[in-house]
Amino acid sequence: MTGFEQIIGINPWTALFTFCNMIITFLILKKFLFKPVKKMIDERQKEIDDMYADAESSRTEAAKLEADYAEHLSSARAERDEIMRDAVSRAQKREREIIAEAKGEAAAIMSKAEADIAQEKKKALNEVKNEISSISVTIAQEVVGREITAADHERLVSEFIGKLGESDD
Amino acid sequence: MNGPKIYLQINGMNIITQTTVSSFAVMVILCVAGYLLGRNLKKRPGGLQVITEKGVTMIYNLVEDTMGKHNSYWTPYIGALFLSSLGGSLIGMTGIFRSTTSDISTTLTWALMTSFLVWGCTIKNSGIKTFLKGYINPMNIISDIAQPVSMAFRHFGNIMGGSVLTSLLYTALAAASAAILGLIRSSGIAVIAIVAVLGIAAFFFGRKKKKLALKILGIALFAIAVCAALEYLGAFKEIPILEVGIPGVLSLYFDVFSGFVQALVFSLLTMVYVGMACPPKEEK
Repeated sequence: MTGFEQIIGINPWTALFTFCNMIITFLILKKFLFKPVKKMIDERQKEIDDMYADAESSRTEAAKLEADYAEHLSSARAERDEIMRDAVSRAQKREREIIAEAKGEAAAIMSKAEADIAQEKKKALNEVKNEISSISVTIAQEVVGREITAADHERLVSEFIGKLGESDD
Repeated sequence: MNGPKIYLQINGMNIITQTTVSSFAVMVILCVAGYLLGRNLKKRPGGLQVITEKGVTMIYNLVEDTMGKHNSYWTPYIGALFLSSLGGSLIGMTGIFRSTTSDISTTLTWALMTSFLVWGCTIKNSGIKTFLKGYINPMNIISDIAQPVSMAFRHFGNIMGGSVLTSLLYTALAAASAAILGLIRSSGIAVIAIVAVLGIAAFFFGRKKKKLALKILGIALFAIAVCAALEYLGAFKEIPILEVGIPGVLSLYFDVFSGFVQALVFSLLTMVYVGMACPPKEEK
C-alpha cells in the first residue's frame, strides 16, 4: 500500500481494468444468464401458445365432427322416411293390383261358370229331347198299338218338340 | 476523504488500486451469481428461477420499452451495465471494498463505452458520411464530449457524495455523542441515574401504550446512561453511541437508493443514446 489516489483523477489502468471487467461480465452474463433465461421463457411461451392452438384446433375439429354427425343423422332420417314412404306406396299399389287381379279372376271364373252352365243346360236339353222323343215314340206305340210310319213319327216329334220348346222358353 | 487506495505501483503508475480490486470482486460476484442462476433452468420453475426470470424479463421489458423491440438484443449489455453499476455502488457498503462507482475512472470508462457504442451504431446504420456530416455543426462535437463527461460525473458525484456525506455524518455523530456523554458524565452520578430511570420509564410506558417510538427512546436513553456510567467509571473513553442506528437510515438513502437510481439512470441514458443511434429498420 503506497498511499491514496486523488479523489477526482483518471487512472488509465483502472479504466482498462474496468473496461475488461465490464466486457467479461457482459459476455458471461449474456452466455449464462440472459440467453438461457430468455430462451427458456420463449420456449415456455411457445409451448403455452402451442397448447392453446392445439386445444383450439381440437375444439373446432370436434365441432366439425359434431356437425357432420348431425348432418349424417338427419340425412339417414330422411332416407329412412323415403324408404318407408316408398315401401308403403309400393305396398298400396301392390294391394290394389292384387285386388284388381282377384276381381278379374273372379269375374273370369264367373263367366266361365255361366258358359259352362249354359252349355250343360243345352246338352241336358238335347239329351232330354232325344230321351223324350224316344219315350214319346214308345208311349205312342203303346197307346196307338200300331206302328206309326216313320213319316208320322217324324212329324209328331217335331210338333211336340216345337211345343215343348215354346213352352220352355 | 481520500481517493482509492493504491495497492501496486510500478514506475509511478498506479496499476492496482482499491477500485480495481472492487471491480474485480463485483465481476466475480456477478458472474458466479449469473452462472448459478442461469443453470438448471426448468420448464416448471422453482422459486429462485421465478425471481430470476422476473428480473430478466423486467430488464428485457425496460430495454424494449426504451429502445424498441428491434433493439432487444442490447439487453445483455444493458443488464450487465446496470448490474455492474448497482453492484459497484452497493459493494461499498460491505466495508471491505470501496465502491467502484465512486471512482471517476470507472464511470468515465462506462460513459465512453456508451459513446463509442453510439458512434459505432451511427456509422453502422447511417454510414460514415452521415456520421461525419453531423460534425459540420461544431456544437455536435461539444455535445459528444459533454455527453460522456456528464454521465460519468453524474454517477460518480452521486455515489461519491453519498459516501462523503456518510463519513461526515459519522464524524458529526461521534462529536455529538462525545458532547452529550461528556455533559451527562460531568454532571455527576445523579444525572446518569435520572437519565437511566427516565429511559426505563419511557420503555415501560411505551410497552404499555404499544408505542414503538417511546420504546426506542427509552432504550436509547438507557443506553446513553449506561455509556455515561461506563465513561464515568473510566472503563471506556468517548463511546460513539449515537453512531448506532442513525447512519443506517441515511445509508439506506445515500447508498442503496442512490446506488439503485444512479444505476438505472446510467443504463437508461445508455439505452436512450444507443437507441437513438439504432432506429428501426424501416425508418432508415
